[in-house]
Amino acid sequence: MTDRNDFLSREKFMAELYRYKKGSVTRRHFLGVTGLGLATSVLGTAVPGLRGAAHAQGSIGDRVVVASWPNYHDPANFDAFTAETGAAVDLNVFGSNEEMLAKLQAGGSGWDVFVPTNYTITTYVDEDLIEPLDLSMLPNYDAASFDARFADAGTVNGTVYAVPRNWGTTGFVVNTANLGGLPKPTTWKEFWDMTMAEFSGRTMVHDYQLTTIGNALKYFGYSFNSVDPAELAEAEKLLIDAKPHLFAINSDYQPSMRSGDAWMSIAWTGDGLQLHRDMPEIDYVLGKEGGELWSDFFAIPKGAPHRDAAYALINYLLAPEVNAKEVAFHGYPVADARVNAILPPEMLNDPIMYPAADLLSALEFGAAVTLTDPNRAELMARFKSA
Amino acid sequence: MQRRDLKTWLFLAPAGAWFLCMLVLPLIVVFVFSFGERGAAGGYVPAFTFDNFLNLGARWAAFKNTLILAPLGTLICLLIAYPLAYFLALRTSPRWRTVLLILVIVPFWTSILIRSYAWIYLLGGQGIPSLLNALGLGNPRLINTPFAVLVGIVYGYLPLMVFPIYVALERLDKRLLEASSDLGSPPWRSFLQVTLPLSMPGVATGCMLVFILLMGEFLIPAMLGGGKVFFIGNALVDLFLQSRNWAFGSAVAVALVLVMLVTVAAYLHFTRRWAGGRDDVSLM
Amino acid sequence: MRIYALAVYLFLYIPIGIIALFSFNAGRHASQFQGFSTQWYGKALSNPFVMDALTTSLTVALSSAVLATLFGTMAAMALQSVRGRLRLAFDALIYIAVMVPGIVIGIATLIALVTVFDWLNPILAAIWPLADAAPKLTLGYGSLIAAHGLFAMALVIIIVRARMAGMDRSLIEASADLGATPWGTFRQVTLPQIFPGILAGFLLAFTFSFDDFIIAFFVAGSQTTLPIYVFSSIRRGVTPEINAIGTMVLGVSLLLLVAAQAILQRGRKAG
Repeated sequence: MTDRNDFLSREKFMAELYRYKKGSVTRRHFLGVTGLGLATSVLGTAVPGLRGAAHAQGSIGDRVVVASWPNYHDPANFDAFTAETGAAVDLNVFGSNEEMLAKLQAGGSGWDVFVPTNYTITTYVDEDLIEPLDLSMLPNYDAASFDARFADAGTVNGTVYAVPRNWGTTGFVVNTANLGGLPKPTTWKEFWDMTMAEFSGRTMVHDYQLTTIGNALKYFGYSFNSVDPAELAEAEKLLIDAKPHLFAINSDYQPSMRSGDAWMSIAWTGDGLQLHRDMPEIDYVLGKEGGELWSDFFAIPKGAPHRDAAYALINYLLAPEVNAKEVAFHGYPVADARVNAILPPEMLNDPIMYPAADLLSALEFGAAVTLTDPNRAELMARFKSA
Repeated sequence: MQRRDLKTWLFLAPAGAWFLCMLVLPLIVVFVFSFGERGAAGGYVPAFTFDNFLNLGARWAAFKNTLILAPLGTLICLLIAYPLAYFLALRTSPRWRTVLLILVIVPFWTSILIRSYAWIYLLGGQGIPSLLNALGLGNPRLINTPFAVLVGIVYGYLPLMVFPIYVALERLDKRLLEASSDLGSPPWRSFLQVTLPLSMPGVATGCMLVFILLMGEFLIPAMLGGGKVFFIGNALVDLFLQSRNWAFGSAVAVALVLVMLVTVAAYLHFTRRWAGGRDDVSLM
Repeated sequence: MRIYALAVYLFLYIPIGIIALFSFNAGRHASQFQGFSTQWYGKALSNPFVMDALTTSLTVALSSAVLATLFGTMAAMALQSVRGRLRLAFDALIYIAVMVPGIVIGIATLIALVTVFDWLNPILAAIWPLADAAPKLTLGYGSLIAAHGLFAMALVIIIVRARMAGMDRSLIEASADLGATPWGTFRQVTLPQIFPGILAGFLLAFTFSFDDFIIAFFVAGSQTTLPIYVFSSIRRGVTPEINAIGTMVLGVSLLLLVAAQAILQRGRKAG
């Protein structure tokens, strides 16, 4: 009774997962111990093609090129995909959706799979840069099991262009060891005020207009998505004032947070969880004023050179057992009920992954107009070159 | 005579075509685009407006950074490179000279990306600052500062400065130095009156090379400046790869090329006059 | 003086030493040494993307250096007998090619080619006999080689021309007087004299292309050169694999340098 699978501790789960990944235990042992076995055996019959049967080994080519985000994919899952299908995965990491869009607009990106965020998809459709998905090639995608709130943005005018990967929030991480008696900041106002005072030279912001400008707007209580010139002008003034106090403008803040060079940074859920997991003194905070709620998707760009491999990889990563392993690695919540059914309860109860309802309800989804607004783009560029 | 003309034309044709397609055409396109407008989702739509040029002031800080740090970086490179080149050319035995010279170029064979990455580590909190801290010399923040960018610049471009100066010093007629010392001139005087003036062509070439490359620098500030030390090159990349404003980006590119043309022409003009109208004071 | 030189060499080699040291790191992270291992060398060598990037870089560097050297030498020779406006135009082009920053060349080439391709591709598709098989112009090897070759060619012209300026013209006249064909004169008199310049130009062109990041970053299209691969690896989070690649490139370059030196020495003795 003490060994009930339901009560498998998170540490034990992670340890088992790690042993499984290292290959020191068999898959059967891992699934048995963690209780994933039952779930998988049920799903295995319910979901055809779970083990890549749809794409026999070798038929999809030997490579697949992915454009995604930092600290977002478990290399072990890519290795497993390669072992199963023979296609090696080349991961390219980006710091903003703008950067991805710019690369696709210039043509010939060479990507097979990319991971756009909810508010970008209509723009990709308008610009004819994204391929409508052939869902018959994604047997692991079960639309019914996804929370519509995080899945809808993938469908434009009735056509599915993107399938959900996971969702998350944009808050900030703070290394509480450096607070020196100060109370832990809980609002964006405190985030920016501390940046310009006690944490001068120690704060990072994203190299990404949407989040950096959005959270500067939050300082004044304006909408994260505001494109109002007067509100943006206030945000710009704040950003320019804060700039001399920043440690860096970079969307990959984990290395600097880990090394102790940076003490605070705008951050996404998963990075917050990964940092907190390894360094408990680092906390993830959602500003009380609100901020961003987002959902990322898998999509295939027009003219992808390895289309079959792209479908195979997306399908592979959507398999609940694989997706669960991804979640264990990256710490972002997923909208797929099948995955949540097999996640350890510790993860489902994690306050970083699933914030309290009142914090969550204050958040906004990014809007397409926020992405393409020329004034926001230019504001960010001015801020960086100031 | 006809035949020779034909041959000359044939020999010039491939190079000419290459210059036209890959240099003249792209520069014309940039020039034309600089009068256009940004598309709704980014990119370019044809238009005729001077707004992009009027808006250049928004990148003044980046221009200013570049116009301060590029000459400063060149100067520091020169100050570090000159004694080394002098040592190599005049104070080493010929046997060691080749080896030592090769050792100056070798770092050049590792990608500047990887070398800059090594500096991220060295200048980061766990590198030199922690060493200084252990020695009780304070814990300065080095990474993501203009200082870090200057270190990266000097590290990246030092070999380019050492070589031309070495060549100039090595060519120097040693008998002149002997004559100078025979005439009772102290070493520092010989240096100032003989060595230094005669090495000026090398100095000018080295400075020119490093300065030109620094004016268009992007990587070193991007890696060691943490997005805070912005060169005009970074502003350009940002305009094309983030805000996707091809029209304004083209205007910034045109402005950069003009600034370079002016500074380089002025530089050549002055160094030529300074060096007494010698023709070898130039890149070519 | 010696101490100063030593300090400069230390400055030059400490970062290289760190790169090499961490390439033998057993751990995943590039900043904490966790024991000695050569696994990252194996990983790098068996990584198809590293090998692809290396092949791309070598192909581009070799093609652009060969073309630039060939066309550059031809142009330098022809320019000897050209005066007037044509000469002025070429001098201006060479000057501009050397002076315009790589970043501007990269961006200008990108937007020019994208614009031209957007315009040409529909035409190509319309006139092509087989509707579906019409070739589509995209960025890739062609644009990489052309953009790298441009700067390299300007370098070659400058170097070869400088070499020609110091050449003894009376030898050529003598050769012609003695009844040698122009080709014979070129092969036996001119070429041996300008060859060091050509070789230097070729090596510079190759090095420039092999090491270039910024131009390739814009015009590579779907191709990945080694510097682009390294750049994206750094963004992905550095593992010692990158250090291993850097160390290997350095090692091979050193070997080539030593070999070249040995060949030159022998050539000098033989000559």
